[in-house]
Amino acid sequence: MPEAQSIQMPKFGQTVEESTVVAWRKKEGDQVAKGEVLFEIETDKATLEVESFLEGTLLKILVKEGQTVPVQSVVGFIGKPGDSVPEVKAPVAAPKPAVGSAGPPKQASVPGPTGVGLSAPSAAVSAGVPAPPGRLKISPRAARLAKEKVIDPSGISGSGPGGRIVEKDVISYLASRGYDRLRITLAARNLAAAQHLDVLAIAGSRSGSRITVADVRTAMAERPKAMSKMRKVIAQRLTHSFTTTPHIFVTVSTDMTELMGLRVKLKKKGVPYTVTDFIVKAVIMSLKEFPGVNSSTDGESVRWRANVHMGVATSLEEGLVVPVVRLADDMTIAELHDRIVEVVRKAREGKLLPDEMSGSTFTISNMGMMNVENFSAIINPGESAILAVASTTSAPVVRDGKIVVRSIMKMTLSADHRIVDGAMAAGFVNAIKNRLEDIGLWKSMT
Amino acid sequence: MEKYDVVVIGAGPGGYPAGIRASQLGARVAIVEKEELGGTCLNWGCIPTKTWIAAAGLSAELADAQALGIVVKDVRVDFAAMAMHKNDVVDTLRNGVNQLLKANGIVLYNGAGSFKDRNRISVKGKAGSAPVVLGAERTIIATGSKSAVPAFLPRHKRVIDSRAFLELKKLPRSLMVMGGGYIGCELACLAAQLGVEVTIVELLEDILVQLDGDVRREVRSHMEKKLKIRILTGNAIEDVKCGDKGVAAKVGKESIKADLLLVSVGRQPVTVGLELKNAGLSAGDRGFVGVDDHCRTAAAPVYAVGDVIGGMMLAHAATSEGIIAAENACGGKLRRSESIVPAVIFTAPEAATVGVSEADAKRDGLKVSIGKFPYRALGRALAVARTEGFVKLIADAETDQVLGAAVVGVHATDLIAEAAIAVRNEMTVEELGRTIHAHPTFGELWMEAAHAVHGTAVHAAPSRRRK
Repeated sequence: MPEAQSIQMPKFGQTVEESTVVAWRKKEGDQVAKGEVLFEIETDKATLEVESFLEGTLLKILVKEGQTVPVQSVVGFIGKPGDSVPEVKAPVAAPKPAVGSAGPPKQASVPGPTGVGLSAPSAAVSAGVPAPPGRLKISPRAARLAKEKVIDPSGISGSGPGGRIVEKDVISYLASRGYDRLRITLAARNLAAAQHLDVLAIAGSRSGSRITVADVRTAMAERPKAMSKMRKVIAQRLTHSFTTTPHIFVTVSTDMTELMGLRVKLKKKGVPYTVTDFIVKAVIMSLKEFPGVNSSTDGESVRWRANVHMGVATSLEEGLVVPVVRLADDMTIAELHDRIVEVVRKAREGKLLPDEMSGSTFTISNMGMMNVENFSAIINPGESAILAVASTTSAPVVRDGKIVVRSIMKMTLSADHRIVDGAMAAGFVNAIKNRLEDIGLWKSMT
Repeated sequence: MEKYDVVVIGAGPGGYPAGIRASQLGARVAIVEKEELGGTCLNWGCIPTKTWIAAAGLSAELADAQALGIVVKDVRVDFAAMAMHKNDVVDTLRNGVNQLLKANGIVLYNGAGSFKDRNRISVKGKAGSAPVVLGAERTIIATGSKSAVPAFLPRHKRVIDSRAFLELKKLPRSLMVMGGGYIGCELACLAAQLGVEVTIVELLEDILVQLDGDVRREVRSHMEKKLKIRILTGNAIEDVKCGDKGVAAKVGKESIKADLLLVSVGRQPVTVGLELKNAGLSAGDRGFVGVDDHCRTAAAPVYAVGDVIGGMMLAHAATSEGIIAAENACGGKLRRSESIVPAVIFTAPEAATVGVSEADAKRDGLKVSIGKFPYRALGRALAVARTEGFVKLIADAETDQVLGAAVVGVHATDLIAEAAIAVRNEMTVEELGRTIHAHPTFGELWMEAAHAVHGTAVHAAPSRRRK
């Protein structure tokens, strides 16, 4: 009897050590063609589709949805019906480093909002959710009483040996919390019990002080829910960057009137440059002039980067990613445009590979389409600055002593103040501004 | 200008309880009414129809009395006496409302109320008399609704709404009913029991569509088989022509003739003449006045209750809202309107529902357990020889909460009260089933149905499907 062929958890990118199967698109017994999507995985950086290299029948699924396994583990088998499937135990997740001991952020990273990344934490969010009584030191009788009364016993101080909660502790706790005066409908009580909610923590509101099903449903809706893996990474990276990097913020107003005019003209000719393209190009040129901004520091040493790998913050429904345009300084504006369109499309489709989301040396976050006056971004770890671009709006400005209406765009640079002084930041943003306002420069380029 | 803390426009089942509650709370109250105290419910709706339904039901019972060993011969309908009884009842109740208003010190203004601004109500009495302007700290709109009569129908004395039906001096020989909602079906049953030849024409695929299919089938089957009512569904009435001899109409390919055409296609809110815009308000979707959960309109000092706000357009909903609006208007703790409103239908047999229906549960994807119990398995029902119908409980499968109930059969309209208490107070099926119900009574139906939800009914054989 021929043996079925194994399907492996792919390794997407250098830094990915384990991945989670989010969903199987095929079930056992389904026909699979080469190139068809077999399953979806979530790394700590992205959700990706895994296509089949093999053709045949999906004979066995080894790693169930929701399971996390090291890369290159066997996740299932494909073959002809009747092929023998080797006896393989489902792989287990590689041990993770304990929270807090993650050390300095890894260079390769998933970008979070405004492009911040760090390795995923493993602690589950649990605030406000009563812990299952099993973990408490509590006598069976006390636990039964707490369960019957639909309360969370974890806040009760135990008077038994070693602080063990005994029945009389629960009784006096109930008395001290005024449990006798609690009014709750029968169905609300049943629902709270089924949902492991503490009835003492649910406020009655709709019908006087009586707790109703609607109140329990509100409590259910308000119960803390675990963040998605991506959101956790975003949270961790943002917190790390903002608490360990001293930020300085410098804002300039740029007159975009002439450049916007040029853009309209180019568009009519079929040249589709976006505002982002011009800004990216102006930033790259200015980074060459201010190499200190294209550097990073760990607090001990400064690392200068010869090339510009430009991060372009892109918002998705589930969060924010920063696809990277590598070697952006070697590109013409036309090449930049094409590459930005490509990476942003891949980001929107969830098809970015982890390596396309890491290694940037500078990041631009453009909220021009979102009608904002001005904003500041948080620096992506591993970089020394990020440029926050706001909307271009018609504004009254003074030119030659007269008030005129011009198209004004504000940009705010957030820079790591340890290596970027105020003067350097100011010089850098003004270099960008001056380039954007120099219409001759763009005419020569386009 | 006389000044009042609360002015109520409309003295129907929403308005007059609102006035009384406000007065109980110490407010100086005026009620403005352009027709009769008691509104549609007391004068041309709930109450008068029930007097005739009582008579018609009794005549039907007498015809069936042989089953109990009583032989009644020569049952005859004296329609004039029926009308007199109806008018007496209406007079008595109307007088009762008047006494209540007086006893509570409420000032009654006869005339049509309209807003001059948010805090001034103009009352226009008899033609020729100058309007009176009242100062109103708070106003409660309770102007109710009237029968909707589609524009394509001829305006003719043979085309009547439910109000005109109740003013008939003589029963028709035949009656065509346009619309198989609860009003049309109640009047159809009543007429049929009195010997009128009745045809119901309903545009939708069935009559009484707000009821679950099983409940609906029970009512329809009795109406068709026992009362010999013709029920035509899925077609519109067209080509309505009125003449000296009767009404003719086309339904699908068929021509229908009858002495009268009763139009019962729904009710529309009454806001004409209120001058809502002077209070900064406007009638919204389909003419209803919009309110929040506390019966407050968009204008701070103005509240609205009853049919004019839509929702469940039922007298008892209006009364509950009226009381809540009055309490909210007089300050104190802000209260929400009740969301559990029982609905009762006085067809033959009667039907009643409260809370979530089986169809609602299915539509909303709720996980429910259903328990049913038939009248024919109940001692009391057999004793009185009224064995058609059943009760049904709809319970949350997870929490055992009584989410809704339906009953079709004798006394259904009274029986629903117990289920309403269970639903409103979020009782569980278990508690309902463990409550001792006196024997032998119809109330036992609920207890048995509660047992049936859990598959533990004592007086029904175990279902074969149960493991």
